[in-house]
Amino acid sequence: MNPPDSRWPRLAAAARQARDERDTAAPYGFATRVAARAFAAGEPPFSALLARFSWRALGVAALLTLVAVAANYSAISALSSSPDEDSGPGEIVNEIVDLS
Amino acid sequence: MADETFDLAGCLERVRRRDQAAARELVEHLHPLVIRIVRAHLPRRVQEEDLSQEVFLKMFTRIEQYKGSVPFTHWVSRIAVTTCIDQLRAQKRRPEFRWADLSENEAGVLDSVLTNERDVAPDDALAARELVHKLLDQLKPEDRLVIQLLELEQKSVAEVSQLTGWNQALVKVRAFRARRKLKKFFEELKRKEKS
Repeated sequence: MNPPDSRWPRLAAAARQARDERDTAAPYGFATRVAARAFAAGEPPFSALLARFSWRALGVAALLTLVAVAANYSAISALSSSPDEDSGPGEIVNEIVDLS
Repeated sequence: MADETFDLAGCLERVRRRDQAAARELVEHLHPLVIRIVRAHLPRRVQEEDLSQEVFLKMFTRIEQYKGSVPFTHWVSRIAVTTCIDQLRAQKRRPEFRWADLSENEAGVLDSVLTNERDVAPDDALAARELVHKLLDQLKPEDRLVIQLLELEQKSVAEVSQLTGWNQALVKVRAFRARRKLKKFFEELKRKEKS
């Protein structure tokens, strides 16, 4: 088994000893400039608004679909199970062929 | 952030109402946090002021998305880190590492590390830091970021994961890969030094 390589840990440890004495306060006028630029951008673009609201709209649409199916479930199931309704796709094609 | 009495919640509320004075206060309050991150991950040939401005502009653009699930400073730190990594990725070529480009102190530090004969002198800490940055420039942006956070800023894997949005396993894999590359790089340097 190779001994662990100590070169990088020693260099990193030495680098950590360096104190960063540079000033961290915002330079003069920086905050004013950034705030002005941030608000000058104005309202978010239409595409951003669309992206933001489209997911909500999708959720609402899905919910409405579920509610509509649930509310009409009895009618839908009655239609699909009714013996009188015999006009499947095959019969419709036959009718069209007969007409011609 | 020296000002412990700063009313961050109130300031954010005013910023959301597009109060420009509040936006200025917020920038001044967060500047020390942002500039430390930017300085630690600044790509060559990019001005720190330009990059910190980009971080703040992103922060204001996305401020409506901040829901308060994490402290605001963590949220801003993540924007700063991802902005820096985007800049690092945008660099077309990584600068080549050459002995000839090192200062006398940096060459001395590298020599003492490679020969393993003596520890780096405390006076050479600044040279060691510069040298580390030049070495890290040789890595992929993602690997460089992980090593910087883990080994220079001594953050935990969980903290790196939170800052970058990468899962902890990915952070560990990137750290492993970066250390292996550094080891290989030291071996190449030693060969070049001998020849």
